[in-house]
Amino acid sequence: MPNRENSRAQFLRGTLDLMILQSLASMGALHGYSIAARLEQVSRGALVPNMGTLYPGLMRLEQRGLIRSEWGVTENQRKARFYSITAAGRRTLDAEKADWDRMVTIMQALFTESS
Amino acid sequence: MMPARIPALLREWLLRLLGTFRGRSLDAEFREELSCHVELAEARFREQGYSAAEAARLARLRYGHADNALEDVRRQQGIPWFGTFTLDVKLGLRMLRKYLGLTLIGGFAMCIGFAILLAVFSYFDIVIWSDTLPLDDGDGVVAIQVWDAQNGRRSEIGIDDFERWRSSLHSIEDIGAFRTVERGIVHDNGEIEPIPVAEISAAGFDVARVAPVIGRTLRADDERVGAEPVILIGFDAWQSRFEGSDDVLGQALRINDRFHTVVGVMPRSFGFPINHEFWVPLQASAMEMISAPPAGAVFARLAPGGTLEQAQAELTATGLLPRESSDDGEGLRPTVLPYASNFVDDTDPNDLADMAGVGRMVVFLVSLMLIPPCVNIAMLVFARMVTRREEIAVRTALGASRRRIVLQLYIEMLVLSTLAVVVALLVVSGMLAVVKGLVLADLGRLPFWIEPRLTLDTLLFAGLMALTSALVIGLIPALSATRSYARPGLKSMDPRNRLRLGPVWSLLVMAQIAFAFAALPSAVELGWGTLRAHVLGPGFAAERYLTTRLAFSDVDPSIGPDAETLARYDRAAGDFIRALETDPRLLSPVAASSAVPGEGRWARVRIEGDDAEQALRIGSRIQLGQLAARSIDIDDRYLEVFDIDVLAGRAFLPEEHRPDSGSVIVDATLARDYFPDSNPLGRRIAYAPDRVAAGTAGTVAERWFEIIGVIPDRPAHPYRGSIYHPVDREALAPLSISFRTDAADGELRQDLRELAARIDPALELQGLRTLKEIYDNQAIGNYIGGFAVIITSLAVLALAAAGLYALMAFCVSQRRREIAIRMALGARPHKLLRAVFRTALRQVAVGASAGLALAIVLQTYLPARAVGGLEVPGVVPGAIALLVIIGLGASLSPARRALRTDPTECLNDSG
Repeated sequence: MPNRENSRAQFLRGTLDLMILQSLASMGALHGYSIAARLEQVSRGALVPNMGTLYPGLMRLEQRGLIRSEWGVTENQRKARFYSITAAGRRTLDAEKADWDRMVTIMQALFTESS
Repeated sequence: MMPARIPALLREWLLRLLGTFRGRSLDAEFREELSCHVELAEARFREQGYSAAEAARLARLRYGHADNALEDVRRQQGIPWFGTFTLDVKLGLRMLRKYLGLTLIGGFAMCIGFAILLAVFSYFDIVIWSDTLPLDDGDGVVAIQVWDAQNGRRSEIGIDDFERWRSSLHSIEDIGAFRTVERGIVHDNGEIEPIPVAEISAAGFDVARVAPVIGRTLRADDERVGAEPVILIGFDAWQSRFEGSDDVLGQALRINDRFHTVVGVMPRSFGFPINHEFWVPLQASAMEMISAPPAGAVFARLAPGGTLEQAQAELTATGLLPRESSDDGEGLRPTVLPYASNFVDDTDPNDLADMAGVGRMVVFLVSLMLIPPCVNIAMLVFARMVTRREEIAVRTALGASRRRIVLQLYIEMLVLSTLAVVVALLVVSGMLAVVKGLVLADLGRLPFWIEPRLTLDTLLFAGLMALTSALVIGLIPALSATRSYARPGLKSMDPRNRLRLGPVWSLLVMAQIAFAFAALPSAVELGWGTLRAHVLGPGFAAERYLTTRLAFSDVDPSIGPDAETLARYDRAAGDFIRALETDPRLLSPVAASSAVPGEGRWARVRIEGDDAEQALRIGSRIQLGQLAARSIDIDDRYLEVFDIDVLAGRAFLPEEHRPDSGSVIVDATLARDYFPDSNPLGRRIAYAPDRVAAGTAGTVAERWFEIIGVIPDRPAHPYRGSIYHPVDREALAPLSISFRTDAADGELRQDLRELAARIDPALELQGLRTLKEIYDNQAIGNYIGGFAVIITSLAVLALAAAGLYALMAFCVSQRRREIAIRMALGARPHKLLRAVFRTALRQVAVGASAGLALAIVLQTYLPARAVGGLEVPGVVPGAIALLVIIGLGASLSPARRALRTDPTECLNDSG
């Protein structure tokens, strides 16, 4: 079922983008590993983003102008690229969160009514 | 998830496109970033008590391998298919460099084909297809033409008809007219500068819908007889004559004998109605006729929402008023047509629509010319596949699909065809610039709707041609070759699995060789005939002869002079010549003639007697104009002025210079061409009927002229002869005058113009220049034509040589095993070569024989001489010798390769 697989991949990719934007909005500038660690921590280990998923996602968001990056140094003086959310990114995040909340409310209402 | 914001997506794809070209620098950045990620992860595991090795393993397990992640990043960084495409293009460029011979020969041949095709396409695109004017709603601008179907020409338009249309037609509005007149601006120092002026209705500016830069345009009031003379000037005239000053308005400009007040300045790009820079009101009510295009025309705009068909229906219903002269009015047809089409030379408006279709058909036919070079190159590419057998086999074994390999081979050839198209476009662009320069030198300005440059349509057509020709030279050989080599596994490397040159390829080789043999002699003759006169020069001091045509600006070229004007012209011309002859700068008397040497009218001629010979010559050649000559009427000073001695016979007697003289003198070329084995003196010639219709002095229907003398060629080396008729100067109208002087480039020219204006303001000196300038101008076109012939011939030769080389090389590479065995068995070299090349040589022999037969047929029945070529003694044997040398040269390398085959190595290889 390639179409189903494709739409699932699109959905996961969209969710990851939203997670990255939310992490940067709440934590400020982060490098790639910190974003991965943050998602891992928040999901209590349920979500461990692979580098092959995380970095293309970061690049995609930057290409769309939703995040920006600059090189800096970590706490232990390691050179790293830090990502931060842009104003366009915040607007997109707000819009997406509103959509998400609306969808969750609809789904909850649907499930509650069904049960 | 995310709302698909178009700007964000656009930005993403734009950056991905840029990222395709920034691969290395971005790679380095991400390597650094990924290694940071891994190091931080490993550090965290080490903090949790794992050993360094275990920490590294766990980091890889949890976050993936950095190299794999880098691949994913690269996919996001660029456009995947674009990356493959650029890779294929790079590979294509590398292959073109590797097989430089094929690249140069193939590219050269294609480039010539493309250049010819694109030049033809550009011509139709610029002149015929683009009839939209560069004006506001340019499609709505139309012209009204009266077509004289009986005489096949555009007729002048009666003023009564013009006024009637103006007042009664509703489907077209703003009807106006113009005519171009030659006038002279009289400067403060008395100097007179000739300029073309448009006498135009004020409606013309409503039709054009262009506002002046300053001032106003012409008004209907200005057209009244007796109104104050006003003039509107162009931007360039404003800048050059008035330094762009606003004070120009209200200033007086003296045109001939009247002062005109400048009332406005038009923008730089404005040239309506054709290419004018000065506009004065047309006082139509004082005229009888409006000249036929291009000297004049009636223009208008379609009413809003109106169509050409509606306008035509209304015009047809309105019709024409009966004309006074009895033979007029029959077959006259008023027609509404797009404005630019009105200026296409004497073509029935009903046929104009067909011309666009004819143009497309011509372009299609010319595009077929690309087939021979493309097929040739396809053959070379196919033969080259032999050397790439291993490459294709290995790629197939590594998983490349046949489709992928074919696509890559196609892109390789697309690179070649694109390069050839780009070079061809540059050549055509240069040619257009040269043509523009020539036209500008001749006419001053081009019609404002014609701009000789590469258009978007031409570029798109060029791109389409590159894609299509790459299909022939890339796709077809690739499909043929991959059928054999792109097989699963490495079985395809089996030497027994080899390419074969099928009958079609063999036929093509033969056809190519035949074509080279057949075409080369004619091409040499054609090239030499075109270039010889200019390479060797005119044979006399042409730079010391100044010439001009005496014309009368009062004479409407579409109607001709009346008797009174003619008498005035004769007086003015006579006075001018007499006054001129008193000038000490003249080194000779002034000769009068209908044309200067080398510029007479073409006419077809017949020779009296010897009907059998004539019939034979007519049968094979007259249709191509072999029996044609230039005809020039000369006065009694002509031979003296041009210092021409009679070679045979005698010069004209003074009493022979009269209109009914039956004597003519011919030049050496005519004597040689028409009377190769007999004495021309005393023989009689006549003109074909079309010359009689032209009505030039000395030609009357069915009148025979006796040749009384033969003189040298002037200029030397014409490709056709000239016939000189003795006339009295008074019988020439208009006439050209010529004289010898050492001051041709000095102030003499200006002095002559002033002298003409003093004698009669209407007397104009048209084309005042030296004979050298005339010949140089003629030379440019001939040089382009001559070099086109030479370059095309070189391309044919190069392709023939390359085809031969490919054939021989193919034989050797396909029969290496056989050669090795024969050598191992002690075969002698000449026997070995004969065995290897037997088939190929047979094909060459068949092609050469067919070509030779065709060359002889061409030389006999369709000689290059008939279309401007010049007989070159020994051209056929010379061409054969050249082709044999080229053939031997092309075969040398494959033959050496065959003889150097190492039996042991070859047999080991083929295992």
